[in-house]
Amino acid sequence: MTSPETESPAARAIETSCARARAELPALCALFDSFGPVLAARARLREAAPGWSGPAPAFDAERFCQGVFVLAQMEQGQGFQDMSAQLPEAARTLLPVMAQSFPALAGELGALLAAVESGAVGPQALAAAGFGERLELPGVSPQTLHFAAGELVRPFVERQAADLNQLVKDLSWRQAMCPVCGGAPNMSAMRRVQDDSEYIQAYGGRRFLRCSCCSTEWTVKRVSCPACGCEEPDELEVLRDPARPFERADACKRCKTFILCVDTGEMVDVPDTDVAALTMLPLETQAKLQGFVPLAGHPWSDL
Amino acid sequence: MPKAFLIDTTRCTACRGCQVACKEWKNMPAVPTKQRGTHQNPPDLTHYNFKLVRFAEHLEGDTVKWYFFPDQCRHCLDAPCMSGASVEGAIIKDEATGAIIYTEKTAKDDFETIRGACPYDIPRKDPKTKRIVKCDMCIDRVKANLLPMCVKSCAMGAMNFGERADMLKLAAERLVAVQKENPKAQLCDMESVSVIYLVADAPGKYHKLAVADASDAMKGAPGMTRHEMLAGLMAPLRKNAKQIQG
Repeated sequence: MTSPETESPAARAIETSCARARAELPALCALFDSFGPVLAARARLREAAPGWSGPAPAFDAERFCQGVFVLAQMEQGQGFQDMSAQLPEAARTLLPVMAQSFPALAGELGALLAAVESGAVGPQALAAAGFGERLELPGVSPQTLHFAAGELVRPFVERQAADLNQLVKDLSWRQAMCPVCGGAPNMSAMRRVQDDSEYIQAYGGRRFLRCSCCSTEWTVKRVSCPACGCEEPDELEVLRDPARPFERADACKRCKTFILCVDTGEMVDVPDTDVAALTMLPLETQAKLQGFVPLAGHPWSDL
Repeated sequence: MPKAFLIDTTRCTACRGCQVACKEWKNMPAVPTKQRGTHQNPPDLTHYNFKLVRFAEHLEGDTVKWYFFPDQCRHCLDAPCMSGASVEGAIIKDEATGAIIYTEKTAKDDFETIRGACPYDIPRKDPKTKRIVKCDMCIDRVKANLLPMCVKSCAMGAMNFGERADMLKLAAERLVAVQKENPKAQLCDMESVSVIYLVADAPGKYHKLAVADASDAMKGAPGMTRHEMLAGLMAPLRKNAKQIQG
């Protein structure tokens, strides 16, 4: 699956993770073959994206530590910087990959690309659609348009968020929402972080939540519900497949929410977080069947 | 992609978590031992101890310094024990990981030759099964993308495991950092093994076989020890003898 154009380390990591997942879970091959190339193409776009330009936004560390995330501290109406100038080129790169990955949508995605090329859909309108604004385009369903525009905008949002996160990465943040954009988490991971301290390190590693909107990661208390803060052992349920003990859905009986979690503490090769979430689709479905609601979904969550 | 360990002895506190974890994972029983005036216990590797934290004390001026060395199979890139084996399939190399694996066929092979071929004196014989045994890199775990037990259990960050290229990079970085305060720091036999030790002082102070035993290297056979040469010479004879014996 490694394409010659793959020079991006993130894209290579996604392809490696997909190859391993394909070998381990042949029943989900179609899922990896569909979303893997899209994730890799998105990673390449992210690495080439411009990031946050100009001076860093005005920011009060004290307010942040009280729970006011970075974008919420900006003037009203401001948010991520306009990335519309990059969207036509991104559409030329990403939409053909998506058309190949999702043949049933190829016609609609082709129509969207043609509309972008002809100017029938302006970059500003496309960016707005990526943030959830309604956009009408003949021959393209609203769902497909929303999905495609969201995928186009996302690499630029993630790249800007990575820059903004530098402002706050050393500050205390105890909220369940993203410290940069306030988005809800759709994934969590436990990772061992090697440091140079001479003190004993925890076997299990720290728990990170990952924003569903901008992919920023932040740490959270390990044994607690990220949604309601519940720490009662009887209320916290861990759903898992015994054959894959490092994958789990952390559910809370009190608030009826769940979040997927990959425990990478004892893994040799740590999978890409998106690919890890893909492999956990059966677990996600199982949690929903038991009446739990995800804090936020993935593009493939409703398949 | 071949794997490798980096064992950073400068971080090791000799808690022996790795030693115990190895026994636990492999479900090995306790072995009879006795107090010998050292924390090194048991005294040496056994057929039930594939990993052993070796203790050494040295008087430096007025100070006693402790040296800890978590000893185990080095999973040599070109393993001499493989050339010492005469039974086909007794010792195999897993190409994906670089792990040197002793199979059940070692029960029919010559223990002394295989042990003698090892420059680190690692192999041991299980008297019950007659098998020759040693660390197998937790191949069952590694194949399932899980860290070897000794690495998982290390709370000090002394044990590291991953792609060989990544471990070599990490080793080089740690060496530079450690050499600032310990000019004699070095990486042991890193070119030829998959288990690379970072030591802060002369390797011999940690363990007499911290680096490969080349004391008996043959003149005229560069790079080959007497053990290896004898193993090579005797291999065809032993193979024939085994075939005759069935």
